[in-house]
Amino acid sequence: MKGVKRSVYISGILIIVGVLIGLIAFMRLYNKPHTDVNASDADHTLAAKTLLEAFKTDENNANKLYLDKIIQVEGEIRDISAADGNSIITLGVEGSEESIICNMYPTENKKALGLHKGQQIRIKGICTGFLLDVILVRAVISD
Amino acid sequence: MQIRSIIILIFIGWHSLLFPQEKYLTKQGNISFYSHTPVEDIKAENKQVLSIVDLSTGEIAISILMKSFVFEKALMQEHFNENYVESDKFPKATFTGKIQNLQEVMSGDNGVAEVDGKLTIHGITKPVQIEARTDTENEKISLTGKFMITVADYDIKIPAIVRNNIAREVEVSFKLEHLPYR
Repeated sequence: MKGVKRSVYISGILIIVGVLIGLIAFMRLYNKPHTDVNASDADHTLAAKTLLEAFKTDENNANKLYLDKIIQVEGEIRDISAADGNSIITLGVEGSEESIICNMYPTENKKALGLHKGQQIRIKGICTGFLLDVILVRAVISD
Repeated sequence: MQIRSIIILIFIGWHSLLFPQEKYLTKQGNISFYSHTPVEDIKAENKQVLSIVDLSTGEIAISILMKSFVFEKALMQEHFNENYVESDKFPKATFTGKIQNLQEVMSGDNGVAEVDGKLTIHGITKPVQIEARTDTENEKISLTGKFMITVADYDIKIPAIVRNNIAREVEVSFKLEHLPYR
């Protein structure tokens, strides 16, 4: 009789612990943070021209290679603007109307102020694809 | 030969004087969607929308990258891209349409453009009718508004386990501020 009571007691505790672990795991997964581009290594490092050419010549293939990947791209600043309080740095490629539009992370606003057109720069961001231009989001200036 | 090309040049020049700037464009348009259920509210925003409006014909072309939608929770963003809209297979959503009451809108008689068009999401195209508030300020032409889309129309399958978390109809809001194209 005593043994039965004890096993009920133990299994009760086990169930509660199990549920708690499950709940914590679920909450952690549910609240999983977005990729920290700053702290992550780039999946690909390439010149602005190479990235743009890849999308212009074979968009499907470039999508397979670069979509959702952290890309570090080096190029010349064609334009610096802002939208909704975030800086947007456009990297141009000579002889090409298309460009690479880097939507900067809010932390980069201050750094972006110190930049000027024509300057060479390296930017790391997540590639989301190609419209008229290649788009990078959550981008940071790498040094 | 030379005379002909001069005439053509004159004609082009004259044409561009008469119709100075007809195409308007934005690469930083804003489209967001909002799903409301008693269980949870889900919102995602895309700030890299490409939209072109041709005021001579009233035609509108919009193109967006599905991966550019930002969710509050990374997990939701992952599920959205991988399971629901399959953005590796269908990286873009597009809209092409035409302002039906262009003359009224252009003359300022009516601030609401009625746009008929086709919306393609997840590889599936459906006709849609959208009302867009039009505002012209200096050289800027903005279109703002919202409309509802039914998730099932676009063959987007929501697993039974999260069916109560995601609304059958989501509200899509847009804010597109176009500037003259070049």
